[in-house]
Amino acid sequence: MDTNTVAGLILLFGIILGIVASVPIAVTVGLSSLGAAIVLLGTDQAVLVSAQRMFTGINSFPLLAIPFFVLAGVLMNNGGIAGRLIDAAKVLTGRMPASLAQTNVVANAMFGAVSGAAVAAAAAVGTVMTPRMRKDGYERTFAAAVNVASAPAGMLIPPSNTFIVYSLVSSTSIAALFMAGVGPGLVWTVAVMAMVYVYARRQPGRLRSSDHPTFAQAVLVLWKAVPSMLMIIVVVGGILAGFFTATESAAIAVVYSLVLGFVYRALHVRDLPRILLDSARTTAIVMLLVGVSTALSFVMSFARIPDLISEAVLGLTSSPTVILVLMMVILLVVGTFMDPTPAILIFTPIFLPIVMEFGVDPIHFGTMIVYNLSLGVITPPVGNVLFVGARVAGLRIEPVVSKLWPFLVSLVLGLFVVVFIPAISMWLPEAMGLVAAG
Amino acid sequence: MTTLKKGLDKVLATISVTLFAVLVLVVVWQVFSRQVVGNPSTWSEELARQTFVWLGLFAAAYVFGERGHIAVEFVVRLFPEKVERVIAMAVQVLIIIFAVVVLVWGGWRAAQGAMGQNLSALPFTIGQMYLALPISGLFVAFYAIYHLQGIARGTEPAYAGLEAADEEAV
Amino acid sequence: ACGGGETSGDGETAAAGGDGGGATMRLALNQTEEHPSFIALDNFGQRLEEATEGRYSIDVYPNETLGAQAEALQLVSDGSVDMAIVSGTQLENLNEDFLVFNLPKVFDDVEHQMRVVNDEAIVGDLYASLEESNNVTVLGGFTQGARSVYTTDGPIETPADLAGKKLRVQESDLHIAMAEAMGASATPMAFGELYTGLQSGVVDAAENNEVSFWTQKHYEVAPYWSYTNHLVGLDYLIINSDLLAEMSEEDRAAFDAEWTAAYEEHTELWATATEEAIANAKAGGATFTEVDEAAFAEVLEPLAEEFITSESQQALYDAARAAAE
Ligand code: NA
Ligand code: NA
Repeated sequence: MDTNTVAGLILLFGIILGIVASVPIAVTVGLSSLGAAIVLLGTDQAVLVSAQRMFTGINSFPLLAIPFFVLAGVLMNNGGIAGRLIDAAKVLTGRMPASLAQTNVVANAMFGAVSGAAVAAAAAVGTVMTPRMRKDGYERTFAAAVNVASAPAGMLIPPSNTFIVYSLVSSTSIAALFMAGVGPGLVWTVAVMAMVYVYARRQPGRLRSSDHPTFAQAVLVLWKAVPSMLMIIVVVGGILAGFFTATESAAIAVVYSLVLGFVYRALHVRDLPRILLDSARTTAIVMLLVGVSTALSFVMSFARIPDLISEAVLGLTSSPTVILVLMMVILLVVGTFMDPTPAILIFTPIFLPIVMEFGVDPIHFGTMIVYNLSLGVITPPVGNVLFVGARVAGLRIEPVVSKLWPFLVSLVLGLFVVVFIPAISMWLPEAMGLVAAG
Repeated sequence: MTTLKKGLDKVLATISVTLFAVLVLVVVWQVFSRQVVGNPSTWSEELARQTFVWLGLFAAAYVFGERGHIAVEFVVRLFPEKVERVIAMAVQVLIIIFAVVVLVWGGWRAAQGAMGQNLSALPFTIGQMYLALPISGLFVAFYAIYHLQGIARGTEPAYAGLEAADEEAV
Repeated sequence: ACGGGETSGDGETAAAGGDGGGATMRLALNQTEEHPSFIALDNFGQRLEEATEGRYSIDVYPNETLGAQAEALQLVSDGSVDMAIVSGTQLENLNEDFLVFNLPKVFDDVEHQMRVVNDEAIVGDLYASLEESNNVTVLGGFTQGARSVYTTDGPIETPADLAGKKLRVQESDLHIAMAEAMGASATPMAFGELYTGLQSGVVDAAENNEVSFWTQKHYEVAPYWSYTNHLVGLDYLIINSDLLAEMSEEDRAAFDAEWTAAYEEHTELWATATEEAIANAKAGGATFTEVDEAAFAEVLEPLAEEFITSESQQALYDAARAAAE
């Protein structure tokens, strides 16, 4: 067996064994890469290269957007905007059947536009919505399932830290990815809303219809949500107008949410150290993963592993459809037990070169992979949004899952819509001239 | 050892908060100097990147202190408590190996090798920046030793993940 | 010797996979497989394999898969990677004498540049200067063409036309000073953010060679190319010194001969790529205009005096200028 094969086997079994044995994923990836590097380079150089790659992996200006969007999200959360967004969502979904459940879905989509992560949305929106939905006659498990199913839309709707990670490993533009995520984010939201509609049709008369606000009340409620929603306008508008780059926009988002928090009197200077530490914690978890994954991708390239896999796959079938479906299935399985960030860091360098052979745009592949792995955060056995959503509803995981699977079916259908209709992702970035058309 | 751990927690928390605040200010200054002052800052990008790496590594060490890095625990949680405990200790040993070999040893060698390589815009060398690796590595190793003895003595649970918290919520 | 020894070991094992018996040298490159550098290096490897009867061959890793240039330099230095293409800025961070060839107006054109950077009498000591300290030998250079300024809102003729314009530069003192000497506001920005930056107006101008102007699609958003020709870019081929020392005399002779053929081929490929890039960018709506050369020379030439701080730098500069026609 040549050294490349040995290195590949060390990576494969090292990473799988480590993850199954509950070793932190970053440590698993770091040690497996080290092991493979020792085979390829000898111990002395392997330790050096692993450390170097970790450092330079984090040493990237575009990555800076991640801590900033995390911080902006935490500031927004502390700044009391969830209530305002929910009120606005309620006006927008006013007369739909099962309107309060639809309110939850829309509120999560709106929360997605001010936050880069999904867990915060599930917690903030779920906490407010569960008691309200109980009062209107919804089962607690159903309320939790709606909240859990709809929260990940925020990972597709800009800003999105998941897209920033993808942009790093795929060398694609963050601005283009952000715009590309809007369509799939709406597909996600509509997929959940459609299932809520089906549910409402099957329960005529059981749900209390919530009271409708007057026109004047509605205008006031929407007006109150404007400053919060304005953040995304400031961020995207500022990028497009040339005031700042995509990375800098994240720092501006921090300033904006800070100002808003102070204006709403929901933030105090004494809270800031705690908020900064919270955000540093989330950031560090992602950064350590990025660092060790950079070491991993070095070792994989060195041993020519992506080339080997690509040749093997292309030798198996030459049908782009078959290959895309195969990749999506693999990622769905991976996503059930792995977080989106490490999964993107590990699988993009392997899959992207293959699909690019078939002319798939790397921006479009980004929306596919992010949509796909976002499903994993709401599936057992490992799914942060599922856990948090169940917890804020005061439930165990199993009963929530039993109500969740119709949504999962609908969301997986949505995935294949996103995969096979590129225009859903590409239309907006193309219209804005962020990617070459066609 | 617990006192030492609490002290280190505080130090790392303070460093992380400070570096994060600096990071925000530097990037905001970069936009401000270009758009408002009209005299683009020429050092801010490099300073932001280096601050960011230091923030990432020190905050990552802090999170090791909380056993907060993402791990997949559902498989090992199927085992009896005693086996869980042994595996949890093995995990801490692997963290020590990672910290000592990659972060401390590799990081120190990387720093040595790049001491002569100047940064482009700041009066430091790349080697000096690399020192964040071995320093944070020592902290990670300390935390892992602390948790190892805690799990061995039974003063710490084998696992303290989200799932456990979820069960408490019922 | 440890680094080189291990590398040959790898080569033998890799060869068991079907290469035919010799040492395969890994070469880190920051360009794509379509770039003249890749083509010339790939051909270099194939000719070398024939000339040494399979004792040496080169495996080129494109697209920064082994790391960006700063890391590639470290990797070659410690022997994890055998060869790499790095920019003058990277070498300047190790030995300040390399700064001389990064100065604006030190080379009149590509031809002058290639004459200087391959003249043993001028560069011999410079290229060997990193062997003791970093275990790296510089073999020579690939031109990266003359660089000019391109703008979003109309061509420029004189430095005064750049006044108030934000010109994106690499983050280095020299490039910042150069942009400012040309009258612009120097704005360091990551290369990956530049397309969107030009498009949205975060910056108004950038500077590069025609090939990047075309392949990076910058002509779509900043179509006014003005021939400032402020500097001629250069990439260096570096190799781990231990590895080079281990080569037999015969293999070393073959290596040197094939390298000479490689940079000559590269210069031709570069000229063709430049012509194609200009034609393509023109078809895409870009305009190429001449500038007031004397006016730019007048503001750029003083930079040499400002940045040269040692006698060795001055000697290199003088030798380079003396070789101009
Ligand atoms: Na979002
Ligand atoms: Na999951």
